[in-house]
Amino acid sequence: MKSKFLENFMRIIFFISATVSIISIILICVFIFAGGIPFLKEYGFKNFFFGVDWKPNDIPPSYGILPMILGSIYVTFGAIIIGVPIGVLTATYLAKFCNKKIYKFLKPSINLMAGIPSIIYGFFALVVIVPIVRNIFGGTGMSILTASILLGIMILPTIINISEAAIRAVPKNYYEGSIALGASHEQSVVSVVLPAAKSGILSSIILGIGRAIGETMAVILVAGNQARIPSSITEGVRTLTANIVIEMAYAADEHRQALIATATILFAFILIINGLFLLVKRRR
Amino acid sequence: MKKVLNLLLTTIIIMSLLVGCTDNDNNTPANSSPKNTNDATEDFDTNKTINVITREEGSGTRGAFVEIVGILEKDASGNEVDKTYTEAIVQNSTNAVMTGVTGDKYSIGYISLGSLNNTVKAVKIEGVEATPENILDNSYKLARPFNLAYKDDLNPLAKDFIDFILSAEGQKIAEEEGYVPINTNPPSYENIDEQKGSILVAGSTSVSPLMEKLVEAYQELNPEVSIDIQATGSSAGVQSAMEGTADIGMASRELKDSELAELTSLSIAVDGITVIVNKENPLENLSIDELKSIYIGEITKWNEVIK
Repeated sequence: MKSKFLENFMRIIFFISATVSIISIILICVFIFAGGIPFLKEYGFKNFFFGVDWKPNDIPPSYGILPMILGSIYVTFGAIIIGVPIGVLTATYLAKFCNKKIYKFLKPSINLMAGIPSIIYGFFALVVIVPIVRNIFGGTGMSILTASILLGIMILPTIINISEAAIRAVPKNYYEGSIALGASHEQSVVSVVLPAAKSGILSSIILGIGRAIGETMAVILVAGNQARIPSSITEGVRTLTANIVIEMAYAADEHRQALIATATILFAFILIINGLFLLVKRRR
Repeated sequence: MKKVLNLLLTTIIIMSLLVGCTDNDNNTPANSSPKNTNDATEDFDTNKTINVITREEGSGTRGAFVEIVGILEKDASGNEVDKTYTEAIVQNSTNAVMTGVTGDKYSIGYISLGSLNNTVKAVKIEGVEATPENILDNSYKLARPFNLAYKDDLNPLAKDFIDFILSAEGQKIAEEEGYVPINTNPPSYENIDEQKGSILVAGSTSVSPLMEKLVEAYQELNPEVSIDIQATGSSAGVQSAMEGTADIGMASRELKDSELAELTSLSIAVDGITVIVNKENPLENLSIDELKSIYIGEITKWNEVIK
């Protein structure tokens, strides 16, 4: 009798634990959309999304977030260009080429990279990457390029870990079959194993994009944060996340609503990216 | 055990990598690091572009700065346009502005006088140095008041607290925190009968640090009192004072006419805004017009202001 009660009781406890995450995601959805949509309606979605001027304190104010949307896209794209080749090659090396001793050393380092707080990455970029970029390209050193390099480094652990798992998950007989047909180790890995792990690698890239687009504190320090459409990669840029964090502390009334609406747009982007991720995963 | 050892080694490697990077950076001939240069002004290239650093929209410091310098343009129909140079780097804290100016010798920024330290160089405005004395006699132009806003039917506790702020004790705290006291010869605070109850003070994030110190000192004298501070921003604070949700609003700007219709405004201290440049910069003085031209992007090279 007692054990049955305990079993039921624990079942409820487990069920509640499982629902907490679902409930919080639903609450986040509700609040972000409930907070943002009234403003979008009032100010006009088109004016908001395609507006090029962000001047919340002018009279009359203008809230155009196109510069920030483009900023997020540019910076994320730059991070992918820098991070994906390094990440995928590292993953291939870890899974297929490196010996056990090096692996034991590399793997924990990469895991450690994932655990470093983003503000520390930001500070590292501020004192190391910014001066280097400033010396080579001139200007302030706070630019799309700097932010891209930083984010490229930050998304490495995500890409490496998931790609490595995907490469390891490729059935051994693919590789062995290729070797049996006379291909070298390198040929087998590059032309047989990697293509077979394609969808896993693609999902690692998508998750990397998600991480890059959502990164905030590190990017604020090195991106310059100018709210205008940049015309070259050595110019500063403001991302959607930066826009919210920078101005939230002082924003009131309509300005605040505009920032929540910015979060709504960002959230929509993240939903789209995760949708893509699920799609790629299902095809596997 | 092995894992721990591995982790340790990894950390060491990463550390040494970081150190390696900075070393390389300092050794590059093109980069003359500020720390290695003895003569500050010798290799300052005045042909370089001015790297303008500003604060974010909505910041009290930026609001006051653009208004005083004239970057905020108003027309007859009540429209206001903040003309700040679009290429200006935006930083969202005083510290970030100072780090930016310390790290980049061709940059310029502005911060609250209370936060000034010797990592950066303060520039004279119209030949006047930013000191409390010069702010008090109005010769230093870049100053803004810290205001309190409240309704006339103030409760006795809030009234007593305001008396404390304006007293010699309260003004001394403001001075110790690096602000300019509004009252040079204030009466000392008389704790007639011990106050009880609680009040809410809301508003400017610039005034909040000072307010926290004031509340701390006041609560030492009146242990039964609880005063809550909400740093919501000037506009939000004044709004809550008008709605009655806060007893006192804090604003780091002058109150608008619409706000003054309902509230009484009281200045408790003055905060100077200091224009700062890198210590290697030979610039000593700027006129308000030059400052304005720099911040709206008309002057973009240092040789236009350094003769």
